[in-house]
Amino acid sequence: MQALRPGDSRERIELLSKALHKLADRPIKVMEVCGTHTVSIFRQGLRALLPENCSLVSGPGCPVCVTSQGEIDAALSLAERENTIIATYGDMLRVPGTGTTLAEERSRGADVRVVTSADQALSLALNDRTRSVVFLAVGFETTAPATASVVLDAWREGLHNFMVLGLHKSVPPALGTLASDTDMDLDAFLLPGHVSVITGLAAYRFLPERWEIACAVAGFEAEGIMTALVEVARQIRIKRPRVASLYSRAVRPEGNGAARDVMDRVFTLGDAPWRGLGVIPSSGYFLKKEFARFDAVERLGVTVKEVPPPAGCRCGDVLKGLIDPPSCDLFGRSCTPVHPVGPCMVSTEGSCAAYYRFQKRGCPAWKD
Amino acid sequence: MSIGHGAGGSLTQELIDLIKGSFDGSPLADDEDCAILPGGFAVTIDGYTVSPLSFEGGDIGKLSICGSVNDLSVRGAKPLYLALGVIAEEGFPVRELLRYMESAASVCRSLGIELVTGDSKVVPGGQADGLFLSTCCLGRMERETPLGADNLRPGDAVIVTCPPGLHGATIAAHRYGLKVRGLSSDCAALWPMLKNILPVDGLRCMRDCTRGGLATVLCEWSEKARLGIEIDESLIPWDEAALSVCDILGFEPLHMAGEGCAAVAVEGEEAQRTLALLKEHDLGEKASIIGRVTREHPGLVGIRTYSGGTRLVDRPVGELLPRIC
Repeated sequence: MQALRPGDSRERIELLSKALHKLADRPIKVMEVCGTHTVSIFRQGLRALLPENCSLVSGPGCPVCVTSQGEIDAALSLAERENTIIATYGDMLRVPGTGTTLAEERSRGADVRVVTSADQALSLALNDRTRSVVFLAVGFETTAPATASVVLDAWREGLHNFMVLGLHKSVPPALGTLASDTDMDLDAFLLPGHVSVITGLAAYRFLPERWEIACAVAGFEAEGIMTALVEVARQIRIKRPRVASLYSRAVRPEGNGAARDVMDRVFTLGDAPWRGLGVIPSSGYFLKKEFARFDAVERLGVTVKEVPPPAGCRCGDVLKGLIDPPSCDLFGRSCTPVHPVGPCMVSTEGSCAAYYRFQKRGCPAWKD
Repeated sequence: MSIGHGAGGSLTQELIDLIKGSFDGSPLADDEDCAILPGGFAVTIDGYTVSPLSFEGGDIGKLSICGSVNDLSVRGAKPLYLALGVIAEEGFPVRELLRYMESAASVCRSLGIELVTGDSKVVPGGQADGLFLSTCCLGRMERETPLGADNLRPGDAVIVTCPPGLHGATIAAHRYGLKVRGLSSDCAALWPMLKNILPVDGLRCMRDCTRGGLATVLCEWSEKARLGIEIDESLIPWDEAALSVCDILGFEPLHMAGEGCAAVAVEGEEAQRTLALLKEHDLGEKASIIGRVTREHPGLVGIRTYSGGTRLVDRPVGELLPRIC
């Protein structure tokens, strides 16, 4: 959600900004995990309201960005198959694999359809049973339940022409990897709103308990984000990190049990490759053996190989918050939204694209 | 060629530059919405490939006239004569074609535009998405000093005549299977409204915010005039339904096309009078002054957000693609 709503009064935001200036009495490094937060922070110009002491780094919360080069190539290998429809979320279309993109394959004649839900992908298969539909199942706990649910539907229908290329990933294990990385030296996480709707809060408790990292789940409006920043700054100041939820109208502490049940029914957790973070144990959702006939990897022999990222591309370091996008040599030169090299520049939620769009040449100061 | 080359953003500009490279170039081709010809005439051409052919608030027939009429209107030219090209796919129902032609004709009738020449082609099934139209419209200049981004000066006011992005949001909702109550394309001929402000001395330039949306118009203005533009999010007359479509699909509302929405720049002192004239017409009921032209940050468009922060406004890159979550 872009949360472009007049409900956020400038006075309240100003107060929150003042509180943050007061609380951040030493440099603090906060990672906003979710790509939607990254974009929302930029879109709403919130960076202009932060104290110098508070640095925001963008995390691995853009599903397209963390999809590994090998996974992208695996998806692209489907384009050569006869009689096959590739159903994909829009962001994936322009991500460069090794040598091509789904958009390029589509202009060469591959049948690539943009869908906005797993349901739409299933409908494609139901409406034309003479062709195979492979759904590129990308995303975190936000989209994984929907994939699980359509796999169950396809299983009940006895559908033979529907498959998924399962690339779903789980957020909490990736946060563990980042928390344990001493190079990163994170003080706090702004936890993702939508993912937490499913996972609940317990999934993150290990972050403050084991790594002493302050955590707050935030909504997407300016006020929600600013309040969450104030909350983590307060936790840091009083040295009592915990998992706070400031998005209680959407996130229940226990999460969405029904959605997790559907995921448990269909998926098993396994090691998965993340761009920039490497292979993270138990961080990928894979189809259980009993659903193997809906698994493009099993049915079509698609393989996810280990492929190095494009030369010079530092998306991995950006995703870990080690550098800000303009510090990458390719940024704004050979890598722009028009001709992206890495996924962080392609996706609308990618931090490179957000930097390029909203801050490439400095943010104009507003004079009343 | 990719779909993105046709989406009105940076890729489209690349394509246009490539095409123009093959020609000798003319001083009359000034990158505005239509060309002003010797003798006080103005001409424009546009192709229409909208899918779906019929949508809430209009159809391809109405759109094909409004689009060309608006390209003339924003430069102060009264639309007079029309050339129409029809490319239909084998198997396309004649009855449906006639329905679109009737809605095109009804716009022409209301504006006194005469259809004077045309062309029709039928292509084998699968070679066109049902029906493509193209219209070329000729008009006469109704203003002595030409309008254009070169006229912009620091202190000018920027006005938008209706909520941005209504057409784009309507089509996107249809394409991605969203049912949104109260959402309708703004598809309309702007001449009856814009002709009322042509006598305003301080009128600088006008553009209809089609592909690429309001953001693209403002970016082009600031680049061409080498001046800054600053707008205020809270002054833009947003449409809740269009915003909700953008929210769900992850689109930037300022990038969404309108088909009956103009951006108008006018000398600061004449802004209120111009706004009042626009508001006298139904199409301009929600018109609003949204910002101003500045000497600072030349070539850049800034927006003050609801939350009081500031950021840049950019133009879209290529095809607008819905995001994952």
